Amino acid sequence: MPASSESITLTGDLHARPAGALAVTAGRFAATVSVTAGTKTADAKSVLGVMGLGATSGQVLTVSADGPDAAEAVSALIAIIGEATRVGG
Amino acid sequence: MSQDAPRVGIVLVSHSVRLAEGTADLAGQVSGGTVRVLAAGGTEDGGLGTSAEKVARAVADAETGAGVLVLPDLGSAVLTVRAMLAEMGGLAEMGGPDEMGRLEDTPGARVVLADAPFVEGAVAATVTAAAGADLKAVATAAEEAWHARKL
Repeated sequence: MPASSESITLTGDLHARPAGALAVTAGRFAATVSVTAGTKTADAKSVLGVMGLGATSGQVLTVSADGPDAAEAVSALIAIIGEATRVGG
Repeated sequence: MSQDAPRVGIVLVSHSVRLAEGTADLAGQVSGGTVRVLAAGGTEDGGLGTSAEKVARAVADAETGAGVLVLPDLGSAVLTVRAMLAEMGGLAEMGGPDEMGRLEDTPGARVVLADAPFVEGAVAATVTAAAGADLKAVATAAEEAWHARKL
């Protein structure tokens, strides 16, 4: 199974709506996807888990995926995180 | 999973009109607005309580072909939901951690009552439905909300 990983520095806090956008997007992929902020890691498909990271602006968020569409999942999530955290909420 | 495939609908049954509507609004916004989230709060005249008629209407409105998940706010709302589902005649499947297996025993069940914390369960279920998950996965996401920590 191919694995993929990429990091992004948050430009805004990971509030409810960006966390929701992240989890909705992650849920569309077959790969298992996780997000790590500091010492905490969450299942990217679990919106409550993603919100529980308490990730804030300036923190580095790492997206890791494992599965047939891992690379696509990681690039989609990195794009969503960059976009959604600018909107806030 | 096609972007246009029907999504599981969500019905939020609360004793309070405003609690149901506010939770539906929140879950809809967090999930991006692609899922039908129906509020069934209060009695027919808008007072505190629950209404089987309101629940039945919300379930009908929430169904777009992928089934409906029903979430009660408190245990006493379960009585109303059960009575309504019983009247619908075999379409229903009760949830709860010990009863989820019954989903397999009732092929074709289109309405599932899940045992979950109200706000967290509504948000988790709606987000999971927005991703295109099936009824069982949406019900499971709601029930897993018991284990999600905020701190």
